Amino acid sequence: MSISLLPDNPAAWTYRRFEELYAIGREEREKLQLEAVRINFARLRDRIPALKKLADRQGVRAIDKLEDVLPVCFDHRVLKNYPIHIIENRDFPKLTAWLDKLTVHDLSRVDLSGLTTIEEWLARLEAYGMLVTYSSGTTGKLSFVPRSRDEFGPWRAHFFNVNYASSGVDPTFTRLPTFFPGHRGGYQTMLKMMSLFNVEMAGGPEHYHTLYDSHIPADLMALSGRLQSAEDKGEVERLGLDPALLQQRQQMLAQGRRREQDMEAWFGKLIQQFKGQRVKIGGTFADLYRVTKAGLEKGLRCEFAPGSIMIGGGGMKGYKDAPADWEDQVKQFFGVKKLGNQYGFSECIGNAPLCDAGFFHFLPYAVPLLMDKDGRAMPREGVQKGRLVLVDPIPTSYWGGFVSGDEVTLHWEEDCPCGWGGPRAAKTIRRFAESEGGDDKITCAGSQQAYNEFMEFVSGEGQ
Amino acid sequence: MSDIVDIPIISRGRVLMPGPDAVEFKGRGGARFRSPDPHKHIQDLVLGSPALLADLNNTKMRDIVEFLVEVGKRLRLEDNPYLKDSFALALQAGGLAEPILRGVYDDMPRMFDGGALLDLADRTIGIAYLDGWVPARGEHSHVRVRAVGTRQLHITAGNVPVVAALTIIRAALTKSDCLIKSPSNDPLTANAIARTLIDVDAGHPVTRHLAVAYWKGGDEAMESQIVRTSRIDKITAWGGMSSVKHIQKFLTPGIDLTALNPKYSVSLIGREALSDEAAMQEAATGLAVISGFYNQTACANTRIVYVESGLDEKSLGRVIELGRKLLAAYKTLPPVISTPAPTRNSELEEELKAASLDEDFYHAEGDTLNGGFVVSRFSDRVDWYDQLNNRVVNLVPVESLLDATKWCDDTTQTVGIYPESARERVIDAFSLVGVQRMVPLKGADPMRIFAEMHTLPPGMPHDGIEPLRRNVRWVIDHRPPEDATVRIQPPSPTARPFTVS
Repeated sequence: MSISLLPDNPAAWTYRRFEELYAIGREEREKLQLEAVRINFARLRDRIPALKKLADRQGVRAIDKLEDVLPVCFDHRVLKNYPIHIIENRDFPKLTAWLDKLTVHDLSRVDLSGLTTIEEWLARLEAYGMLVTYSSGTTGKLSFVPRSRDEFGPWRAHFFNVNYASSGVDPTFTRLPTFFPGHRGGYQTMLKMMSLFNVEMAGGPEHYHTLYDSHIPADLMALSGRLQSAEDKGEVERLGLDPALLQQRQQMLAQGRRREQDMEAWFGKLIQQFKGQRVKIGGTFADLYRVTKAGLEKGLRCEFAPGSIMIGGGGMKGYKDAPADWEDQVKQFFGVKKLGNQYGFSECIGNAPLCDAGFFHFLPYAVPLLMDKDGRAMPREGVQKGRLVLVDPIPTSYWGGFVSGDEVTLHWEEDCPCGWGGPRAAKTIRRFAESEGGDDKITCAGSQQAYNEFMEFVSGEGQ
Repeated sequence: MSDIVDIPIISRGRVLMPGPDAVEFKGRGGARFRSPDPHKHIQDLVLGSPALLADLNNTKMRDIVEFLVEVGKRLRLEDNPYLKDSFALALQAGGLAEPILRGVYDDMPRMFDGGALLDLADRTIGIAYLDGWVPARGEHSHVRVRAVGTRQLHITAGNVPVVAALTIIRAALTKSDCLIKSPSNDPLTANAIARTLIDVDAGHPVTRHLAVAYWKGGDEAMESQIVRTSRIDKITAWGGMSSVKHIQKFLTPGIDLTALNPKYSVSLIGREALSDEAAMQEAATGLAVISGFYNQTACANTRIVYVESGLDEKSLGRVIELGRKLLAAYKTLPPVISTPAPTRNSELEEELKAASLDEDFYHAEGDTLNGGFVVSRFSDRVDWYDQLNNRVVNLVPVESLLDATKWCDDTTQTVGIYPESARERVIDAFSLVGVQRMVPLKGADPMRIFAEMHTLPPGMPHDGIEPLRRNVRWVIDHRPPEDATVRIQPPSPTARPFTVS
């Protein structure tokens, strides 16, 4: 190893260049990772109540080999296993007590007086030194990542690093005006990362251009399903929500309905304004393709300066029937050489950048493992497909071992033609499902998920 | 399983085996099936003209029932090769354990009991209306009504094989043409019964009006051909959205859809059940039966139990005690009712595990093999209640059983209740919010409770509606008043017609 890394401080690894990190040999890296996970688990095991409970129950005292960590990884549900009614009732003492079990910080000292919204609660936690963000999955229930200021440094360093890796432009030295076709600010993980890091990468807020200059309050995200059903029953008043919040909801819905037109107009303006300049374009690929399609149909083509970059995400979720060559069309329309991409989840700091050969490479501070459907560790060799478990040894205030809901194909042999090392995930990633129920299994039991109009409109997926 | 199972198309007395045009499809657990390409057999599946129903229309209900009785006699698993195949396949699919599945199949002949079938037809529609024209009462007897058969498409559910038998019976009793689209999780049962019909009498009008095929739900080429007013009058779709969403775009006025939505069931346990050990034991046994029968794969299975209880530790301790008694009672159920699950449900297990990490909110015990329970320590169900399965239930404390109405709606099918003394005060409120049936949990003897809750008089409503009545066409034969069988005085000049102003 040409660089020296200490196993008791994986946070410091993030400050090394990604090329150096990928160049560490497999044997050496795995030794280092095991040691780092072992130390981090030992440090946190008895200090995080939820981890202690799980580890006690599973009878895990220490990590001797990497696979030992599997039984003590949190299922992704753990970050949202509070009862939804404490959100509905905005019972902040209970919500705080729940979160308190996931962090080493003493949240019982957070002043909760006068809080009326989840948004305010998150701000109060931030003022206390936490950096709690949320994400909402398919059920609409918010999961809260109990991150804190303790993790800020490595989180930032990694994010700069991985942006460099996936775009070829080092944001530490090259600040590019950035376009992002979405909202701005707030505590949703991606939007919080934007405020924390992307705005800086762009060279300041005036160089960071978003479609809307507001964000969706966490309260509306958290209650979207409940609000819809309350509205249907004529019981919205009973929820006791601030009328301003309800008004905001109506605005969001209206915004969602005209989102596509707004996006076209907004991009149209930027395309003119930044002609001949180097820019960075972000957003979901579904949105970027929408803009591309509308532009190409009008015979338009962006004329940004060479060296402009694109970093997208979200796959083509929310866009049906994209043509096979959509990637080429996007590149052609925006005039970028590649579609930068990353794979990861908000629970773990170390998301993996996409290489030129089309694989997501994990950095040494994101330790992947695969589990079969019975929860057993799969061999770390050759090519394996299973449920991804990611252990993040960086955090010192929360436990970073998580079982995802994703089925991932991992290549363990470090033979990627792109030249990067590390285990790599193939691009096709899908939800890990139980054994298939057949082509169209029909049963009489079950209940229908409430249709979530709000989320679909606001995220542009209902179009 | 790597063998390919051949699934023929059944077309009006003929069995069309997969030939060179066969197509393959996948079933549960990796099963592979082969069937003739349904696209090439659309004419064999639909009845092009409703006039062709004349043969069935002219067959008396007694003949139809006699025929069904004959079929029923042959629907015995031990000597019916078609049923043996479908049983073996259903077993492999793994939805139901062997003793339960055997019980379900063994019950099938009983569904074809002659007296019960006649009763069913008579109480829901009226045999006189099916066999002929029935005059209106008194002075209106010149106006006559008849229930006429229709052309029906049934998109059936596959979790319990009785659905296939029920569908064939109901179509026959409405003197209707019946096309069954089999589900991939039970592609053979309807087939097996239809082939038995053919063996009994390939020329019988009921046999001549039954077609069974599999195609993939959402196959537009198929569904646009079939779901047309010129070919189908009535659709019965089990499984709600998943089966309806595909055909929705072809629905037009003129096609009557009965959507048998996915249902969800609950139980209500009154405060009295927690007051003494004997009552708690009786409640627990009742709960074990209603949650555990068919291993909780059916819509009538309880998944959430609302228990009248305070939220203090002592009261919740009693609710937990009820949960433990329920787990113990699962072990006493005869295997024909319920068995431990053959495999774990890992998703649900993760939910249980996550819940048990937070004892402020939940108390969880058990697993997805032998059954389990989660007590909410507050008055609300778990957020993942729609995943409750494998005999895992959520016990929710409520101040009053009536509070549970807010979680019940049209998707709540069956409500178990204990003790009976609580019934009167809740039945009306729960029927208003949408529940469709309330059943007793008392009795303390699993077999008796099970039999009791499954024994209904013929002709009872299904999920809040009467499918048979709905699936016939009610036709009026309005003759001149002179044809009335009851002679009446001409209206007096002073009498004023009744009008609504």
